Amino acid sequence: MTDDTTPMTDGGTDDEARTDGGPPATVPPDDETPTWSDRKERSQGLAQLTYQYFERSRREDEDLRAESTYVERDVLGFPTWPHETIRNLAITSFFLGMILLVASILPSHFGDPANAGSTPAIILPDWYLYWSFGLLKLSPINPDLAVLGGNIIVSNELYGLIAHGAIFGVITLVPFLNKGNARRPVEEPGWAALGVTGVILAITLAVLAIQNFFPVPLELLFSLVFMLPVAGGVITYAVLKTMREGYMYDLNRRYYMLRPPK
Amino acid sequence: MSLKKQDDMDHNAWLKSQDLTAIETAFLTTLIWLDKRLRIVDYLELLETMYYRANLQMPKSHTEQYDLDNKFWYWYPLYSLGSLSIIAYLLAAVSGAMLGFYYAPSTAGAAAQGDPTAAYDSMVMIMQDVQFGFMLRSIHRWAAQFMVAAVFLHMLRVYFTGAYKEPREVNWILGVVLIALTLLFGFSGYVLPWKQLSFWAAQIGVELALATPIVGEWAAQLLFGGFTLGQATLVRMYILHVFVLPFVVTALIAIHVGIVWVQGIAEPH
Repeated sequence: MTDDTTPMTDGGTDDEARTDGGPPATVPPDDETPTWSDRKERSQGLAQLTYQYFERSRREDEDLRAESTYVERDVLGFPTWPHETIRNLAITSFFLGMILLVASILPSHFGDPANAGSTPAIILPDWYLYWSFGLLKLSPINPDLAVLGGNIIVSNELYGLIAHGAIFGVITLVPFLNKGNARRPVEEPGWAALGVTGVILAITLAVLAIQNFFPVPLELLFSLVFMLPVAGGVITYAVLKTMREGYMYDLNRRYYMLRPPK
Repeated sequence: MSLKKQDDMDHNAWLKSQDLTAIETAFLTTLIWLDKRLRIVDYLELLETMYYRANLQMPKSHTEQYDLDNKFWYWYPLYSLGSLSIIAYLLAAVSGAMLGFYYAPSTAGAAAQGDPTAAYDSMVMIMQDVQFGFMLRSIHRWAAQFMVAAVFLHMLRVYFTGAYKEPREVNWILGVVLIALTLLFGFSGYVLPWKQLSFWAAQIGVELALATPIVGEWAAQLLFGGFTLGQATLVRMYILHVFVLPFVVTALIAIHVGIVWVQGIAEPH
């Protein structure tokens, strides 16, 4: 573009001398924007795999839709307005009203100012942490080793922490342990029993946390903390097993009434 | 249409036939797992082009299939627990913001051990001098209690109706995280008045943190600002309670509800 013979005027630019990075980059016009398939073909590695899987996924959707016996129709249901809205409003106002009522008739406790020098006789968190506090009082079942001369392996605090971890871990894993289509407790008495065991254990642990208020020997209380949940679980299991036959009969009858066997 | 699940597209077999590296396999497995549950494909496609406006078709609902419409309603209160915990959360947020005008997170002002501190005095001021202050604190406290109760019952409802199953595992885990954060919310709020019970609850917290192997001392420093309780503890609990947790919990609740919105409510069976 420039050569030695051409004098520099303000109409020309010396490309070698310019420091502003050159002319503006070309923006592709709309009809040159790469299409989905262009982009798919250009991509490589993980991006390409993503495209491939998404195509399969979309095709799967289309196939399912094509095979489906689903017919679009007006939904027969509870209308959002006004029925559902009014029901929600009613429940919400009732709930808010309950909070305000309780707040006005049961003022919250307010004790002495903090004093690092005197430990109070009773230390308690709020009620919803009683179960957690109870887990910290499990020192009687903290295992010890004879070879250590009866010394405990982990400190009592750490033992309580591990119990917390175990409980949260089990709860987190529930969806990966219990699979399948069953929804009702009667369909899976074992899992329902486990749930009831958990609920009662939370309650008994809370009782353990406030043991000072129960005139029961600690030994007995400690046994009850673990026996009651198990008993509750066993009873739940037995009851649900007994109910199951009747429930399943009813469900199946409804199902076959709707879809008689061919 | 049978009740058995359709499996025309066997993605796992396709995956096996692909001869992929370990990274690719892990990536695709995660992608497929998430996509099966959250249908990412639809949202990425919407971002890519407006061409595919795939309208998801809902399968025939269980309520329809078993004709349960008429015996659906009495489960309703159990299904509103999640919404009730959000309502209580909002009430606690509003009353908490108002309390924040008057509360001072400071242990200053105690001449001797056991004297009222500035934090304690500001609580007394709220309860005795501020117009409506006693009720405001009461509302904040009880809203918190109701929220925790609603959250626990919500978890039980989800557990006993099996609503955590197949496409909803992610939301269950999110819920577990939210429960833990709710408890932390309650705990940090319990410490703020800096009364005897607050102090000794925090003391137990520090001891627990210190008992944790490896990360214990670091966690005690981070959460409680040291190994003994003092001004640093109070300020950390305060910031946790009014700044960190509100943002985190609100964001997680939004995601939690968003996923419910996308996946639909698991019906009672």
